[in-house]
Amino acid sequence: MTTKQERSAAPAALTRPPAPGRRRRKGPSLVSQDRRLGTWLVAPAVIVLLAIIAYPLIYNVWNSFHHVDYQNPPVGTFAGLSNYKLLFTNPLPDLQFLPALEHTVGFTIVSVVLETVIGIAIAVALSKPFRGRGVVRAAMFIPWAVPTVVSAELWKTMFDPQNGFVNYILKTLDLPGASTDWLTGNQWTAWTGLLIADAWRNTPFMAIVLLAGLQVIPSDVYEAARIDGANAWKTFWRITMPLLMPALSVALIFRTLSSFMIFDVVYIMTHGGPVGPGGQETTNVLANLDYGAFITNSDFGYGGAISVSMIIIALMIAAIYVRVFRTQQGQPT
Amino acid sequence: MSAVSAAGAAVTRPNRRGSRYDGGLVARKTGFFGLLAIFVVVSLFPFYWIVITSLKTPAQIEKGTTSLLPSGVTFSNYSNVLTQQDFIRPLLNSIVIAASVTVISVILASLAGYALARTQIRAKTPILGFLLLGAFFPLLAMVGPLFILYSHIHFLNTYQGLIIVDMIYTLPLATWLLTSYFSQIPKELEEAAIVDGLTRVKALYKVIMPVAMPGVFTVTILAFILAWNDFAFALSFNQEPAYTTAPVAIVNLGQSQNQVFYNLIDAAVVIISVPIALIVIFAQRRIISGLTAGALK
Amino acid sequence: MNLWPKNRHATTVAAVAAGLAVALGAAACGSSGSGTSTTSSGTPASAKQTIVFASAGLGTEGTATKAAIAGFEKAHPNITVNLLPLSSSSTSAQQQEQNYFVAGSATPDVVYTDVTWPAADVKAGWLANLSSFSPNTSAFFPGQMSTGEINGGVYAIPWFINAEGIYYRTDLIKSPPTSASQLVSDAQSAMAADPSLKEGLAFEGDTYEGAVTAFQSFGGQISLSDLKKGIDTPANVTALTFMYNAIHTNKISPSAVTAWQEPQVQSAWLSGQTPFALNWPYIYQLSEASGSPVAGKTGWIPFPSSTPQTSLGGDDLAINAKSTHKAAAWEFIQYLTSDSVQDARAISAGDPPSVKSAYNSTLYAAAPYYKQEQAVYNAVVSRPVASNYAQISTQLQNMIASVLSGSATPSAALATAAPTVKALADGASG
Repeated sequence: MTTKQERSAAPAALTRPPAPGRRRRKGPSLVSQDRRLGTWLVAPAVIVLLAIIAYPLIYNVWNSFHHVDYQNPPVGTFAGLSNYKLLFTNPLPDLQFLPALEHTVGFTIVSVVLETVIGIAIAVALSKPFRGRGVVRAAMFIPWAVPTVVSAELWKTMFDPQNGFVNYILKTLDLPGASTDWLTGNQWTAWTGLLIADAWRNTPFMAIVLLAGLQVIPSDVYEAARIDGANAWKTFWRITMPLLMPALSVALIFRTLSSFMIFDVVYIMTHGGPVGPGGQETTNVLANLDYGAFITNSDFGYGGAISVSMIIIALMIAAIYVRVFRTQQGQPT
Repeated sequence: MSAVSAAGAAVTRPNRRGSRYDGGLVARKTGFFGLLAIFVVVSLFPFYWIVITSLKTPAQIEKGTTSLLPSGVTFSNYSNVLTQQDFIRPLLNSIVIAASVTVISVILASLAGYALARTQIRAKTPILGFLLLGAFFPLLAMVGPLFILYSHIHFLNTYQGLIIVDMIYTLPLATWLLTSYFSQIPKELEEAAIVDGLTRVKALYKVIMPVAMPGVFTVTILAFILAWNDFAFALSFNQEPAYTTAPVAIVNLGQSQNQVFYNLIDAAVVIISVPIALIVIFAQRRIISGLTAGALK
Repeated sequence: MNLWPKNRHATTVAAVAAGLAVALGAAACGSSGSGTSTTSSGTPASAKQTIVFASAGLGTEGTATKAAIAGFEKAHPNITVNLLPLSSSSTSAQQQEQNYFVAGSATPDVVYTDVTWPAADVKAGWLANLSSFSPNTSAFFPGQMSTGEINGGVYAIPWFINAEGIYYRTDLIKSPPTSASQLVSDAQSAMAADPSLKEGLAFEGDTYEGAVTAFQSFGGQISLSDLKKGIDTPANVTALTFMYNAIHTNKISPSAVTAWQEPQVQSAWLSGQTPFALNWPYIYQLSEASGSPVAGKTGWIPFPSSTPQTSLGGDDLAINAKSTHKAAAWEFIQYLTSDSVQDARAISAGDPPSVKSAYNSTLYAAAPYYKQEQAVYNAVVSRPVASNYAQISTQLQNMIASVLSGSATPSAALATAAPTVKALADGASG
C-alpha cells in the first residue's frame, strides 16, 4: 500500500487508481514501475561516482587502521586505533587535529555567513531586469575563470606589505593600516586576508545558484503580494525566502563543506602561519593537516585517519543541514 | 514584475505621509545599485590586475605596485606564451576534457535529478548523502589510491582518465542542483504531458527540461568551470606534454626552480579565460531565453 | 514539495553499488603487488632499451636537459631517453615522484631529487644502491656528496650545486663586510646615503624551506649531530637574533620579508632597491644579463658570521629501486656528470656544476662569474641528512617564523623547539 507521503512524491496522474469499470492492470504495480524507472535513471550517476571513490575510500579506511608510514618501514602492519589516537596526542603542534578543526570550523562559519548574506543580496538585486544586467551576470563568473592556485598567488602578492596593492590603496587613500603585515603579522589579519580571498571567489557561486533558484518563482506570486500591500522587506521575508529555500539549502551545504575542505588558498597564502610561540600554526586547517601527513611525512596511515575523520565530520554537518531544512519545510505538500 | 518595483508601486499610493516614501524608494534603489557596483568592481579588480600585469615586462613587475594604471603596454608575454611555451596543446586538452565532463555530467545529473525529484525510489536520502560523500572526499586522500589504480589500468596520461575522475567535481553538485530545480517545477506540467500520452522520459525531455532551462544552463556553466579548474588530478595523472591541462601548464610555464614569471602566468590566465567566457556567454543567452520561454503565464 | 523524504531503506542500487565497491577494492588491492623483488641484473646497458628520466625544469633548464638527452642518445644509439616533465615547483615534483614510488612503478628509471630528499626516499626503499657501479665520489663537493651517502651506500649522485650567499652591490659597498655588524652598518649607511633604496638587506623569511636555508646561511648550526645535542646554542641564538634585529631593531629589512621567498628577494635585488640580498647562484646569471640594472655591480660572498658558511642546495640524480634498466640509467647519470655536459648546463641554464673538475678554463671563458662563486661553494654546509628531515624542517620553519614575527624571543623559541627537534633527530636514520 502506498503511503500518503509516497503517493504525493510522484505526479498524481501516475498514482490515480484506475477509472471504475476498467479491468485491473495485470503485472507490476504503477508504484513499482515508477520505482524501477527511478532506479534506472539514477543508476548511471551513482555507478560513476562509486567507480571513482570506491577504492580511495577502502584504501584510506584500511590505511587508517594500519601502520603505513614510508619514513618508518615496514609498511602495512596492523595498528589498531593508534593512528586515530595520534590525532589528539601528536607531539608535533603542526600535526594536531583539534587546533586545525577549531580553525576550520571558525573559518567555515564566518565565511559561509558572509558569503550567504552577500550572495542573497546580489541574487535578489540581479533578479529584476535592469540595463547592463547581462554584463554584471557575466562579471560574476570572472573570479572562477582564474585557477585557484593562480588567484591564491595573486592575492598573496596583493597583500604584500611593501609592494602589494592593498597597502598601496590604503596609503593613497590615507586610511589607517597602510603598513599592516597582512598575512604574517598576527592571525587576525591573516584570517582577514584569507577570508577576502575566499569570499572573492565564492560569493559569486552563492549568487549564481540562488539566482537560478529565484528565477523559477512565478511572477504572479509577487503580483499577489503587491495587491495585498506588502512592502519590499515583507515580500522578501514572507515570499522570496521560503521559495528560495530549496536552492539555498543546496548552496549552503556545498558552500559549507567546500569551506570545510579549504586548502589551496591557505597553503599558498599563509602556509598555516603566522606561528605562535609554541610552534602552533594559527591558520592551520584540516586539509593542510592532510597535506602534512600525506606529502610532507609520507604517513598514509595518519593521513587516512585524518581523511576519515574529516569525512565523518562533513557527513555530520550535512546531516544537521538535512534536519534543519526538513523541519523548515514542514509537511510535504 | 519584480518584487522591488512592485513594492515601489505599492508605496507610492497616496497616503497621509505624502512624498516621504519616494525618498525611501530612491534610497533603496541607490542601495541596491551601490551594492552591485561594489560587487562588480571587487569581482573584476583582481582580473584587471592580472590583465595589466600580463602587459608588463618583468622589469616593470619587479618595481612593485606603483600605480593603478598600466605602466606601458607590451604584448611580448602573449607571443611568448603562445609560441614558445607549448601552451596551445594544454589549452586544447583542457577544452576537450572539460567539455566532455560537462556533457556527461549534465546528462547523468539530469536523469538522476529527475529520478530523485519525481519518482518514488526508496533510497533518496542515502543517494543524496553518497553524492555529498563524493563531493567532499578530501582530494589529497584520493590522488594516491587513484594513481595506483590508474597506473595498473594504463589510464595515466590519457583523456579518459581525467574525464572520469573530474566528474567528482561536477556530478554531486549538478545532481543536487537539478534535483532542487526540478522539484520546484509544478507537477501539473508533467501530468498534462502524461495525460497527452507522453512517456515519463519523453516528458522529462520535452516538458521539464525546457522549463528548467535556466537551471540546466547554470549547472552547465558551473560544471565546465569546475572541471576546467582541476589541478590536483591533472598534476598527478597527466604529466606528458601531450596530455597535460591548462591550469598545470600555467603554473609550470611561469616557474623555474626559484623564479616566478608573473607576466607569463598572467598572460596565460587571460588566454584561458577566453574559452570560459565563450561558454558563459553561450549559456547566458540560453538562460535568458529560457526565462522568457519558461515563465508561467 | 518535500525534498527531504524520510524513507531510508536500501535499494537494489545501493546493494549493487556496495558489491561493486568491494569487488573493485579487492581487485585493486590484489593487483598492486608490493612484495615483488627486482632482479639485480636487469637489462644490460648495451641492449636496445628506453629509459624514463623524471626531471623538473622548463625554460633554460628544460632546454639544457633536452640538449643533454640528445647528446646522450647520439653517444649511445641503443638507448632512448624519454623525459617525464615534473612540476617546476619542487614540492609538487616531490609529490609526483612519491606517487610513482608508492605505486611501485618501474618507471621513471632516473629521477632528479632535491638534496634533501634522498634520505627519506632511501628509508622507504625507493632508491637503488649505486655502490655496485663504483661511483667516483671524490669528484664532487663533499658537502653535496654526503646527501647521497646513506647507511654506507651511495644512493644519489650530485647533479648541480647551489649555495646561498650574500649578494652585495659593488658600487654601493666599497669592500665586502667581514663581520655581521659591519654588514649592518654598511647597509644602514647605504640606505642613508641613497633614499631610493627601499631596504638594506633582502632575505627569505616566509614560512617555508627557504627560511631554514636562510637561517643556516646566517650561521645557524643545524647538522644532525647539532640537532641531537640540542639547538639552543649561542651560535643559533646569534643567527636568529641577527635575523630578528634586521627587521625590528636595525631596520635594514622590511617586515614584508616574513612573506618573501626567492622571487621577491630576486625582485628586490634586480630592481636595484637593496645593497644586500641573500640568494642562490641563479641571481648571478640574471644580474650579469644584458639590460640588468645591476650588471657589473654584483659581488657574492658567504655571510660573514663568525664561521662563515653557506647553505647547500642543488639537485641530485638517483635510480628507481624498481627500475629494470639500472645499467643504462647509470650510463645516463655518468653522462650528465661529465665535465663538458656540466659546463654546457652551467653556461646555458646557470646551474653550477657539482663536479669539481668542471670548474675549468672553458667554463670561466664563457661565464667568468663562476670564478667568484668558488668562495661561496667552498663554505657550503648541508642540511641534516635524515629520513624525517621534512618533519624536522617544519619545526625549524615554525620556530623561525615565530621569532621573525616577534611572538617569541630567539632563545625562548630555540628552547621550546629543542626537545621536539632532538626527539625527531634521535629517531632519524641518516
